[in-house]
Amino acid sequence: MSSLASSREIQEKVLATQGRPGAVHALLIVAAAAAAAFGAWCWSLQIRYGLQVSGLNRPVGWAIYITNFVFWVGVAHSGTLISAVLFLLRAKFRTAVYRVAEVMTVFGVMTAGLFPIIHLGRPWFAYWLFPYPNERHLWVNFRSPLMWDVFAVSTYFIVSAIFLTVGIVPDAAALRDATKGWRRRFYGLFAFGWQGTDEEWRHYARAYLYFAAFATPLVFSVHSVVSWDFAVSILPGWHSTIFPPYFVAGAIFSGVALVVTLLVPLRRILHLESLITPWHLDMTSRVVLLTSLIVTYSYILEYVLAFRGPPSVERSTLAYRATGPFAPLFWTMVACNCVFPLLLFLKKVRARPAALLVICVLVNVGMWLERFVIIVTSLSHDRIPFDWAGIYRPTFVEVGITLGSLGWFFLWFLIFVRLLPVVSISEMKEASVHGVEDAA
Amino acid sequence: MESKMRPEAGVLGVFSDLARGAQAIRALRAAGHSDVRMASPAPFPELVEALGRPRSRLDSATLSGALLGVLAGFALCIGTAIAWPLVTGGKAIVSVPPFVIIAFEVSVLVGACVNLVALAVTAGRGRRRRPVPFDPRFSADRIGIFVVGDGLGDAETILRTNGAEEVRRVA
Repeated sequence: MSSLASSREIQEKVLATQGRPGAVHALLIVAAAAAAAFGAWCWSLQIRYGLQVSGLNRPVGWAIYITNFVFWVGVAHSGTLISAVLFLLRAKFRTAVYRVAEVMTVFGVMTAGLFPIIHLGRPWFAYWLFPYPNERHLWVNFRSPLMWDVFAVSTYFIVSAIFLTVGIVPDAAALRDATKGWRRRFYGLFAFGWQGTDEEWRHYARAYLYFAAFATPLVFSVHSVVSWDFAVSILPGWHSTIFPPYFVAGAIFSGVALVVTLLVPLRRILHLESLITPWHLDMTSRVVLLTSLIVTYSYILEYVLAFRGPPSVERSTLAYRATGPFAPLFWTMVACNCVFPLLLFLKKVRARPAALLVICVLVNVGMWLERFVIIVTSLSHDRIPFDWAGIYRPTFVEVGITLGSLGWFFLWFLIFVRLLPVVSISEMKEASVHGVEDAA
Repeated sequence: MESKMRPEAGVLGVFSDLARGAQAIRALRAAGHSDVRMASPAPFPELVEALGRPRSRLDSATLSGALLGVLAGFALCIGTAIAWPLVTGGKAIVSVPPFVIIAFEVSVLVGACVNLVALAVTAGRGRRRRPVPFDPRFSADRIGIFVVGDGLGDAETILRTNGAEEVRRVA
């Protein structure tokens, strides 16, 4: 099978997703914009009245904002995993799903990047995070993990955005040649004069390989760096050598789950069922299952390490996590991340998009709770019993900003899917000619 | 989008089958046509391989960028630590292990940016030096094979016998 007969069909299906949104899509955009606006208003209250409007107080100085930061950075990991790591591993199922994952990565990092600034309380000083020449010769502290974060997350954002943009070039050229008017000019901007000549493909293939090679260590480094924000401190519950692999696995777990969460409704709303098939969802959900098992192993390992020796402060903290006032959140986290994903062992569950959607939404809830539990319970139960009286509860400002971040993310995502191809046209054409799914 | 560069005179064959396209390229090269070009809607490795073009030489530029990034990362950390020599956490002023993280991130960042610039330069230059006549079908569902040079009559025959849907002369 080497005919290009289905190539035009693929292109037309993707082209049909571009343009004026339907009623459901328009409603979702309005809802996302409203949530983002509400979040912005809540943030404006915090800027006006200070961090007193948040629930942050001694001993819990890091809470929902940092939870959101870690969650969104984690979510962003799947994009690079699917587009770069699976590209290097030649996993064929990535073709139909990687663009969604890449888009999610870029907007996920954009959302994550807001939270350290929101958490600062005085966002107008955010530029202090970056090294810049100044007359007092003051420089940032590169020995601090917070500084590593600034470099890791900024690099991740820029490299992910480049990777996404480069991937779009041949597709934008195809849409440019198939459309007229402002759309032709718009796609032309992203096509950068692309004509699909052998010279272009020759350099493109090589450069794409290098982007993948650069992005792959980033997947592992960025969330390792995020985990070091906690692990290099001396706080029980944070100070752990298993944090980097534990966080990386968790990040991939939550990210791939969000990819499935987005793909299931998206393929229906945009009528892409023939391009994003049950096989693609099945393969992606297997990654969710695998990473769920790794995360479960990490949870068990964390407790085994704390409880196998003599009584320790860490043991006390972990016991508090599972039995203290935050226990309902802890056990919900365990159910969402360790128990429900086990259903993915069943082929009939993996074959049902609705079931996948429910499980993956639960995984996302569970992964958000995991970050919350790690951050808040470790700080709540410090080594001064006097502090234990205070239980952190998020205020409506913090909840509003969290909802706003969801709105912010989905607003960008929903606009993107109407303006640029959400499935890689050129790679789908290549896969269709080579009969990828038939061979799988 | 039509190229501003005017392609040289030659013969253009349009194919709807990848295997036949690759076969035609191999037949053209076997017949002594040294300047065979193509345009396609997807990165078909069979076609690029059949053309026998050398591997892209982006490697050296990208590797240089990554090495420059390592040096820049270390220079930034060490230079600023010496310029503001404040001991924090009991660590040495020039504390190499944490600086490795910054050097790694800057290396990836500069390497990726240089890779992007190298791609833009080499792909753009390649497109200008070896243009293929524009046809919107080449970004949709057809492969264009363009032969430049002498013996164009022979090239036309080879393209037709290998299954070209359409063969035309480009002046």
